[in-house]
Amino acid sequence: MATTSVSITSRDVNGSAMAAFAAAGIGACAMGAVVLLNELGLFAAPALYAPAGGVTGRTTLATIVWLMAWAVLHHRWKDREIAPGRIGAVTLMLIALGVLGTLPPVWALL
Amino acid sequence: MLFTDRSIWTMVHGIGLGGGALMGLAAALFYLYAARSSDLSVAPPGSGALAGATVLSAALLWLTVIVGTYIVFPPYRATPPAGVTDLSEFPRALVLASPSTAWLHAFAMESKEHMPWIASMLATAVAFVAVRYRSRLLQSPSLRNMAMALLAISFALVGFVSLMGVFVNKVAPLD
Repeated sequence: MATTSVSITSRDVNGSAMAAFAAAGIGACAMGAVVLLNELGLFAAPALYAPAGGVTGRTTLATIVWLMAWAVLHHRWKDREIAPGRIGAVTLMLIALGVLGTLPPVWALL
Repeated sequence: MLFTDRSIWTMVHGIGLGGGALMGLAAALFYLYAARSSDLSVAPPGSGALAGATVLSAALLWLTVIVGTYIVFPPYRATPPAGVTDLSEFPRALVLASPSTAWLHAFAMESKEHMPWIASMLATAVAFVAVRYRSRLLQSPSLRNMAMALLAISFALVGFVSLMGVFVNKVAPLD
């Protein structure tokens, strides 16, 4: 009896895409959180380039969080099919939180 | 000299890189929307062009934020020496000197410092998916919708901070 083998690659499942989307949400939320913590005086990322000030430390820290989250999620999900609905909703919520955290009027409410 | 180094870098940042990124994001968004197909078994053409547009947009956005943060922002925030009365060389001090323009720093520039980095992350995620999945991005409604949402948010954020940049540069240009 003839058999047919089907090769499943990581491009056939959506895990890599979901990891990229979710990590972007985590990065966005990290940016908002780092900015809020700075505004609350709870944590000040050190300036990496003094003429530009603390923004260099805050943005670099959030970028590192984003890349690390992406690497971890990609490693865990790249061969899996992930339900897109929940990941999409969580990603959009994280982005919204991140954007809110970078808005100066929000800082005034704290 | 017609333009100073500071002025040229500001134009490169805002018009060249930022403007290019906005056009690339708009093109990618339009293509994702226009490529919707009721027949999901047929791959729409142009997935390579879409991947190219998203990669270009993401690259331009990263260049925009890096140039903005490390080259354009330092002269903007420079502190004027004691006794200086002409603040035209010190944009932040200039806008903060008047209550009617102080919002240009307190709201506009403070938003510009961080928000574009989020836009860059979102555009990069979509670029990665467009390159990795090619035609599947167009055939899968869930992938396409998510990519469109992230690109739309990125476009809105970049458009907003660009407008803020125009306002700041109008009142306190880096000449």
